[in-house]
Order: sequence, then C-alpha cells, then structure tokens
Amino acid sequence: MKRVSITARVQLVLLAAGIAFAVVAPYIFNSFIVGLLSLALISGLFAMSVDLLSGYAGLVTLGQAGITAAAAYGVGYMANKVGAGIPAQLLVGLAAGMVASAIFAVMAMRSGGVYFMMITLAQGMIVWGLSIRLYKITGAENGLTGIDRPSFLSEYWQYYWFVLAVVLVCSLMLVIAVRSPFGAAVKGLRESESRMRMLGYNPALQKFYVFMVAGFFASVGGILLVFLNGFISPSAATLAASAMGVLQAILGGIGTLIGPMIGAFIIVGIQNIVSTYLERWPTLMGVIFIVVVLFARKGIVGAISIGWRRWLERREQAASDDSAVDPGDLPDELALESSEPR
Amino acid sequence: MADTLTEALSQETAPQTQTLKRRLWYLTGSLLVLALVVWWVLQSMSLRSFWLQTLNGLSFGAVLFFVASGFTLIFGLMRITNLAHGGFYLVGGYIGFSVVGWTGNFALALLAAALGVTVVGLLTERVLLRPIRGLEKPEVLLTIGLTFVLGDLSLAVWGGDPTPVPVPAFLQGPLRIGDFAYPRYRLFVIACAVVVAVILFYIERRTRLGAIVRAGVDDRETVAALGINIKAVFTGVFMFGAFLAGFAGVIGAGFLTLLPGQDFEILLFGLVVVILGGLGSLPGAVLGAILVGLIDSFAKAVVPELSFFTLFAPMALILVLRPQGLLGRVE
Repeated sequence: MKRVSITARVQLVLLAAGIAFAVVAPYIFNSFIVGLLSLALISGLFAMSVDLLSGYAGLVTLGQAGITAAAAYGVGYMANKVGAGIPAQLLVGLAAGMVASAIFAVMAMRSGGVYFMMITLAQGMIVWGLSIRLYKITGAENGLTGIDRPSFLSEYWQYYWFVLAVVLVCSLMLVIAVRSPFGAAVKGLRESESRMRMLGYNPALQKFYVFMVAGFFASVGGILLVFLNGFISPSAATLAASAMGVLQAILGGIGTLIGPMIGAFIIVGIQNIVSTYLERWPTLMGVIFIVVVLFARKGIVGAISIGWRRWLERREQAASDDSAVDPGDLPDELALESSEPR
Repeated sequence: MADTLTEALSQETAPQTQTLKRRLWYLTGSLLVLALVVWWVLQSMSLRSFWLQTLNGLSFGAVLFFVASGFTLIFGLMRITNLAHGGFYLVGGYIGFSVVGWTGNFALALLAAALGVTVVGLLTERVLLRPIRGLEKPEVLLTIGLTFVLGDLSLAVWGGDPTPVPVPAFLQGPLRIGDFAYPRYRLFVIACAVVVAVILFYIERRTRLGAIVRAGVDDRETVAALGINIKAVFTGVFMFGAFLAGFAGVIGAGFLTLLPGQDFEILLFGLVVVILGGLGSLPGAVLGAILVGLIDSFAKAVVPELSFFTLFAPMALILVLRPQGLLGRVE
C-alpha cells in the first residue's frame, strides 16, 4: 500500500469534513452567518493565492490585496461608471487584476526574501493610494457602489453556493498546479534558487509565472468579493488587507492549501465576533500576528500533523512494531524560515 | 588597537573598470533624464513655483531621510526589515504633540519623543525580535503586526483627528529673501537633515563605533570573534534607528499633520527611498530621500491625482534596471 503522508492525511480529513459542512450550511444558519461564510470562503481563496507565493514559492507577498482590489475596481468601474453588463464587468475585472499582476511581477521577479516583501508592500500601497486619489475612476473614499449580482444569484444563499463552487474549482486547480511539474519548480524556488538555475530553469521567469497564477486567483477572489458586498472602497487595498492573507496562511499552516482556508475561517470569525463587542480589532489582529509569528509558525495543520505523528509513534511503540512512521513528511524548516546561508 | 581596527576595516576594494564604465553610463543616462524632467517641469510652471516645489520636496525629503536612515542602518547591520518604522514615526509624533501641549517646549518634545520611541525600540528588539533572531521573514511579519498595534493604540489614545504639532515662535512665519518668501520651519527641517546627515556620515566613516558597524555589515561572526559584543551593538543600532524615527515624527508633524494611517504612508515613502537608493546604504538613503521628496512635491503640483502613482514609475524603472538600488551593493 502506498503510504500517504500524515500532512496529506490531515488535509484530506479536514477537507472532507469542511466540504460536507459547507454544502449544508445554508440549511442550518441564518443569512448573516451564511454571508459571513461566503466572506470566509473568498478570504480563504485569497489566502491560498497568498500562500502559493509565500508558502510554496517562498516569496512572502505583502501586496496581494492590491491585485484583488484592482480586479474589484475593474468590475466596479464597469458597473458604476460605464453601466456595462455582467460579462463586460467580469472581463474588465479579470483583465485589471491580471494587468496589475503582470506589472507587479515584472517589478518583483528579480528579487527575493525581504526585498520581495518590501517591493510587494509598496506595490499594494500604491494601488491603495491610487484608489484614494483617482476620484474619477475609483470614487475615492466613497468607493464605487451599485454593483449588482446577476438575477439568478441575487439571493444570499444562491450566491453562497456559487462562491462555494467557484472556490472549490479554484482549489482543485491549485491542488493540480502545486502537484504538477510547475508546482515542483515553484517549490524549487523556495528551496534553492541557485540549484534551480543550475538545472536550467530561469528563476526570474518562474517567479513571473507563479506570480501570475497567484494573481489570477487573487483576481477571482476580488471579483467574488465585490459581488458579495455590492461595493468596493480603498480599504480593500490596504496593507491590513494584504497582511490579513499572510496571517491567515500562517495561522492555518503555510505551505499547505487547506491551511489558509482554515486560517481564513478563524480570522474572519474572530474579526466579526470581536468587532461587535470591541473597537480595537487592529490591535487584536496585530497581537495575533505577533503571537503566531513567535510561537506558531507551523500553523494549525502543522500542529495537527505533529500531534498525529506522535500519536502514531506511540501506538506503534506500544505494539513494538519496527516499521517507523514515514519520517520527514513535515519539513523541519518551513518555507517561512530563510534557507539561504546567512 | 582601536586605530588599526578602524584602518583595517575602512580599506575599500577598488571598483573594477567594468563597473566604473557602467556607472558612467548610468550617470549620463540619469543626468539626461533629469535634464529632460527639469525642462518639462519648467515648461509647466513659473520659476518661482519651481523653487517653491523644490524646497517643499527637499523638506519632505528631509523627514524621509530621518526615517529611511534609521531603517537602512538597522537593515544594513542586522538584516532586520523593521516595517514598524512608520509606527515608530507616528508614535513619536504623537508623544511630541502631547509634550508640547503640556510644556509648550518644542525642543523638550523632540527629546521626549525620540527617547520614548527609543524605549519602544529597545523593547521591540529585546522582547519581540530576539526570540526569532535570524529568521528574516518572521522578523518582517512580526514588525507588521507591531505596526497595527502601534497605529491602533495611537488612535485609541490620541483620537483620529488630524493633529498639527505647534512649532516654536521663532520658526513660525515665512523667511523673506527679496520678494521670495518661504516658511522658516521647512528651512529649519532641511538644515536639521543636513546636520544629522553629516553627523551620521562622520560616525559611520570616522569613528570606532562606525567601523564596528561597517564591519558588522560585512561579517558579523568575525566581528564577534574579535571580542566585540555584537548583540549589544545590534540593540544599540536598533534603538538608534528608533530614536531617529521618533525624532522624525515630531519634526515631520510640525508641517505634515499627524493622522491615523500616516504610519503606513511614511513607511511606504521610506521603503521607496531605500529601494531607490539601495538597501543598507547611508548615501543611498540621502539620494533616495532627495529624489522621492522632489518627485512627490512636483507630482503633487503638476498631476495631483497621480501623486502616489508617480512613485511607482521610478521604482519600477530602478527595480528592472538596477534591482539593488542606485547606490546599493549586490549581495
């Protein structure tokens, strides 16, 4: 029997439970909760796109919300200022997101490490600056309103299932992508750029590709988001929005695909519960950020995997079975931690 | 011992002819671009407003220099990208605002804010960053979390209204030269930046402390092996960077009002400064700050709607042509 790694087993179990729960959710919860679940799913897709760069390629991005916002503004502009139909809105939204990704990617593809973080941070913030200043296109602080969903998705539960379907399809595409040769090359970027170069890859080009793929999913997230809310404002492009994706990815388990989704559900949940009682959400978010970075860099998936492995080891020891549990399926040095010689 | 160390460490390797040639190309190219930009700007505005915008740009650049020099020093030595630097700036500005309110003394406010933020820096380095020392990316992420905390707590303490810090009487009002008038305070800020830059250059190039810091940039292990307490140097440099940010907060708040969210704006400008100038380079911080200040000032005058975006173009250009920045070194 082919051994399935423990991280993968954890992911599978969590996934099956998650999907079963997600499908029946509209029968159980009221419109507020279902709306929140839609938001969490979209955040999760966004966090996965962040994680594709940050966890798989080792390129931690702090400007991904800029791409999401660009796509959302594309939709909003066509709906609010031009008055075009849904197909044109989708097309322009996706195009805006992809153009932003391409420009960002070309600027950032020759860098890595903290330099990449700084560049993407600046890029995201420049989108935010534009969204505040370019009044004629973005409506400045007021944002763009009047973005309606097509009639067959107008009910909250209809849209929820639509979001669920899109996010599942996107997740499947991501799973295929990270298991493909492309995914292997992306992980190669994280492990050793010089070795990749020696194998005949062009690291800058690889970074461009992975940035575009991540940008595509971030754009889809942006389009889903703008139709969920019906409006778009500059707050979608803030550093807080970008950093939230990174936080969700790390909290859930960076370098996995299910982790960011779990992280997104937790953070969106905390944010909405806390916001009703407490005004100081950014402080709490900052504290969570610091605590996670200090103490829980492997995230929830990492923690469960470690626990599961220990449990298996203990059981096998009790049965005095010699066959060891497959070691090393959990990387000791996570992508977050620099692997370059210092 | 001290002198030999200073001497040994200050010897620089001669640049190779090829890089010299390349530099010459860059120089010619950038001078041409500069001439073109100046010509275009002069076409669209009078000579008087040209000088006005130049001084505006330089005074804003001066504030950016205080921020960026501390940022770049910390990065150069410790490889810590302190994204909380914008937060340090904001907290400094607000502390200065409070102290001016209580005592009416601007100089005291400057000192109190700088020292207050230095303490914040000390705590950040010792308590938060020490446990993850050497893990570059977690370090950056932690400082982002800290920025949110600092910004939000400032909002809780000082409120969300735009807050100007009153400047002393002798710096109020314009200075007139002929029929050209310009705010004294902004001129004072430019003068401050020049003085601080000279002091920093002196410390970095001419003192034993500077030699240790420069040596630490090149090879931390060897410096530690020479019997220097590199950890203490780290903490000291981090505190000094925080000191500069707190100082910048008060100086900047004299003509840029304080408001929530400015921490991120200052951080963005500071990042663009070091990306343009070259990370870890003090001359790079000077050059970058002047460039960014001028670009921002002229852009606001000529194309106000695109004022943020105008930072984008030079940044993109530099990143594509010279990723290490104008005066940065290839790692």
